[in-house]
Formats: sequence, C-alpha cells, structure tokens
Amino acid sequence: MTQNGPMTSRERILASIRHEEPDQIPVDLGATPNSGISAIAYFNLKQHLGMVEGHTRVYDVVQQLAQPEDEIIQHFGIDALDIGRQFNTADDDWYDVTLPTGQPVQFPEWFRPTRNDGGGWDAYAPDGTRIATMPNKIATFFDQTYFPYLDGYPADYNNLADEMPKIHWAGLAHSPWDHAAEPDFWQQLREKSLYLRQNTDKALMVVAGCNLFEWGTFLRRLDNFLTDLLLEPAEVERLLDALMEIHLTTLENVCQAVGDVVDIIRFGDDLGMDTGPFMRPATYQKLFKPRHTVLCQYVKEHSNMHTFLHSCGSIFKLLPDLIDAGFEIINPVQISSRDMVPEQLKKEFGDDITFWGGGADTRRIINHGAPAEVKNHVRQNIETFSPGGGFVFNTVHNIMPDVPPENIIAMFEAIDEYRN
Amino acid sequence: MSDKYQALFDSILEGDVAGTQAGVNQALAANEDPAEILNQGMIAAMREVGRLFEEGEYYVPEMLIAARAMQAGLAILKPHLVDSGIEPSGRVAVGTVKGDLHDIGKNLVAMMLEGAGFAIIDLGTDVSPERFVAAIQEEGVDIVALSALLTTTMPSMKVTIEAISAAGLRDNVIVLVGGAPVTQEYADQIGADGFAADASGAVTVAESLMGI
Repeated sequence: MTQNGPMTSRERILASIRHEEPDQIPVDLGATPNSGISAIAYFNLKQHLGMVEGHTRVYDVVQQLAQPEDEIIQHFGIDALDIGRQFNTADDDWYDVTLPTGQPVQFPEWFRPTRNDGGGWDAYAPDGTRIATMPNKIATFFDQTYFPYLDGYPADYNNLADEMPKIHWAGLAHSPWDHAAEPDFWQQLREKSLYLRQNTDKALMVVAGCNLFEWGTFLRRLDNFLTDLLLEPAEVERLLDALMEIHLTTLENVCQAVGDVVDIIRFGDDLGMDTGPFMRPATYQKLFKPRHTVLCQYVKEHSNMHTFLHSCGSIFKLLPDLIDAGFEIINPVQISSRDMVPEQLKKEFGDDITFWGGGADTRRIINHGAPAEVKNHVRQNIETFSPGGGFVFNTVHNIMPDVPPENIIAMFEAIDEYRN
Repeated sequence: MSDKYQALFDSILEGDVAGTQAGVNQALAANEDPAEILNQGMIAAMREVGRLFEEGEYYVPEMLIAARAMQAGLAILKPHLVDSGIEPSGRVAVGTVKGDLHDIGKNLVAMMLEGAGFAIIDLGTDVSPERFVAAIQEEGVDIVALSALLTTTMPSMKVTIEAISAAGLRDNVIVLVGGAPVTQEYADQIGADGFAADASGAVTVAESLMGI
C-alpha cells in the first residue's frame, strides 16, 4: 500500500517497471497483440461468464484476437490498455461474421476476406495479390503467402514502402494502424490517448513494431533470410538501413504524438525458436543490436515511454544484449522453451529487465491442464517472478482457441490470491 | 576419417558450396569410392553439424548453409552412388500435417536425414492423412515423418496414424513425429514409434529405429 492507499493500475505497472514491488501484482490481458486472447477463447469465456451484452470484435484479424471489452477489463482487474482500443468504437465500424468454427463474431468494416475451397479464408492486397490464408477450418489465424523479395534483394528500396503493405502484418494491421493513412491520424492518436489518460487509471501502451529481423523474414522468407545472415551480410545491412529509415520516421511521429502521454511503447522482433535463438549471439550483436540500440535510445531521448520488446522463444542467450540495447521490458517470456526457466531468468536478469509474461504456459498447461494444475502452476510462477517487482502477469503469449474458460477463470482465481 | 576428406568435410561444415563441389569432384577424379566419399567426407560432416547444433554452438543459419552445401555435393555424387549400387539408408516421406503450413523445421529434418544417407520424399505442408497413406503405398517408404508447429494441428498427427492403421499399413512403416509443441509423451500417447526435439535428434532416432 502507498501512503495514500492502494496504487492505481498505472502506478502499479510503473512501479514494477522501476523494479519496486507494487501493492499487488500487475496484470495484463490485451494491451498488446501478444498478451491477449483469441476471438474463439474470448467468445467461450463470455458465454461461460454469462456476459450476454457486447460483441466479440476481432481487432487483430491476422491472429484472430478479440479486443477485451471494458466489462472484461473491469471483471478481471486488468491494469494496462492499448491506446488502439479507442479506435473503431462505433457499431458501424464492425460487421457480423461467423467463423469457420461456428462462433458469431465481428470483423472490422474494412476486412473482407474471401472464402476458399478449404473452408477457410484468403486475404488480398488492393492490387489482387493474395497476401494471407487461413487454409481450412483447422487453421485459426492467417499465414503469410506473399514474400516480395523471395527471389533476391532489389537494386534499391524506393518501393519498400509500397511492398510492406503486401505483408499481412502491415496490410491487415490492427488498430490504431488501420487508420494510419488518415490525414489527421496522429492528432486522433493523441486525442484518444489523452481521453484514456483522463478517464481511466490504467497504464497505456502504444503497439509499435519497428521489427528488424522479422521484417527481413517477412520480405525474404524465414529460411532465406536466415542463410542471408551468414552468406549476404552486406545485403542484410542494406535492407536493415532502409527499414530503419522507415521505423525512425514512425518513431518520430509516435513520440511527438503521444510520447508524453503513453507509458510504454511495444517493439516486436521474434528472435527465438524453441531450442534457442534463431542466430548466434555474435550475429545478433553485429547486425541487429546496434539498430535496436538506436530505436531504444530514440525513445528515451524523445519521450517518457518505457521500452518493451516482444520476442518469442528461447532468448536466454540474447538477454544480456537485449538489456544492453535498452529494452526495459521483455515479453512473452516463453517458459516452455529451452533455457527459459523462471527461476534462472529471475536470478540472472530479474534486476535488469521486467518480465511481462511467463505467468502461465499456453502450450500444455492452461489449455490441457485441469483447473487445479493451472492454479498451482500460476502460483509458482507468480512467486518466482514477482519479488522485487519487475513482473507484469500475463500468459505466455495470447490465450489460444483451445483454452477452456474454466482454466482462464482458474488462472485469475490464483492471481487474485496475490491481489487485494 | 582420413585426411583425404578433411577439405570436403570442412567445406560442408562451413557451408561452402563451391568448396564442397570441388571436394567431391576431386575425390571422384582420384577414383575414390563413392560410398567412402559419402560416408567419410559428407555424412560425417553432417553428423558433426548435428552435434554442434545440439551443443548450442551451431544455430539454424549454420545448419542450413551446411545442409545446402551437402546437397550441392550430393547432386554430383548421386549418379556415382547409383552406378555403384549404393542404396540409401532408408526412404522417408516427410510432411507437415493437415492444417499446418509451417515447413522450415520439416525441411531441416529432411536435410539432416538426407545428410545421413536417407532418401527423402517431401510431401510439403498441409498434408492430408490420405496423402501420407498414398506415399506409403506407392513410394515404398520405410519411415513417415510428421511435423506440426501448432497445438491446434497436432491432432492431425493422431488422425494420420489412424489412417495408416486403417489402411492396414501400420506395421509396414515407422512413424516419427516432431515439431515445437510435440513431446515424447504425446508421441507415446498417439502411438508414434519415435520423437525427436530437433532435426539432429531426428537422425539419431531414425537410424536407431531402422537398426542402423
């Protein structure tokens, strides 16, 4: 408790980021598209809770995630919000659709995929290029199908900004970025952020990407870009420099628009697989670390925001460099992957970085475990990660379609044992 | 391994395609036994690549470029192996299961198995149980290797094994499973013959189950 009583959500999150143990553990659900909940799981959860009002709005169409509504935020006592939630708030921003798996949800008005022969959907760029597919009814998110530089690096990057929207992550982007082409977008972003600042006590997140390694994989395809790191490092650097120009322009605009209002900026760059990093630390240090450092430094010098990196997988070996580059928060803390042992992570890096995630394993436990097992697992992770702050509770990445509502509720019941 | 294959061995380890091709050509020109070139110069190199990966010294980029160098060398060597009557260690149909489009892990397994002397039939991704069954019936495979990246597509592995059983082929073939969410426990549960956590382990398991 602070001198004046319990902390606000925002104070709680900021204290934890400063490595001060807050009044209770801070909790996220949905402040980023890597710490949220799939539309199917969300629909099932609301049904289970008897929450009949409202909608399941698929705000991230690529990953098919639901935007948690205010009622859910309140019900579970969530401490952080994505400023993007203030966009597309009118009913006519959405239309009704039935998922291949049968749930009634809503898509953003602009998202019009076509049904394919497999019973799934295909999504297209305005020029007719098929950019993503949900190939059949088993699939529950969109996979990239088009790779602009599959056959090689271009002579120049004059067209890079035109090619990027043909990558589904950019072309089918979630809010607020689906409004980015509007002439008053940055003004809107500021106004809506100020609204949330003035009308809620939550910590505020702006979901930027500025991915470097990942944009290389989006443009060249993962297997090609991985070999490029060793065989074509000059081309890799040339591409990264072109990307940095675009990313720094984005950053400049974000910092100017909301840098004094929003608390955290989320960067993304998946650097880990299940068994280790995608590349040896020396490769990361040479090609990516200097540029990640520039991004973090820019944010520190031009805003009040804290730097958050989303990076899936086994990244234990890269954490010293990520911390050195200036990332203050790491997510999702994939504890099912090699070397990502909670006790080891907390011991080695607990003073130097905030773990935003790692609260519940989504691969085996929260989806297939019994509620009692979920609770024990969650208790254990909280007790490992929370001492001394530097921890915000979230599942390891999004709650997937196969997570039963009973387990989500069990997870929050365990969390509540550590909250007032 | 004798010194005569050291340069070839090193070229593969370093992912040097030109060096690998030169090494194979030189060995052939010197009338070395194709099987010996394969085993001592190339399979031995890929085994070392696998070991380095498992030890955490090689990463996927290093493994990919080594495998590609190996393939470049193998392309030159293959006709000579055929002429010498050298058979592959076994025939493996690899594929990512129905509903799943992810292929890099599956491709790495294929490359490492090929690097160990297996013949590969790559069925691609989103492979239906029927196609796996057809591969067994038509291609005479010894091993079927199933890959899945997602917990939501893992069940397709079980369905595929059931389809193989229903076709009366379960006893004719070894089933291996792998992929990020797959565990030994899951493999046992669905009646697979083997599981490996990575591409290098896949070679060990395949050879063990084939009695090599």
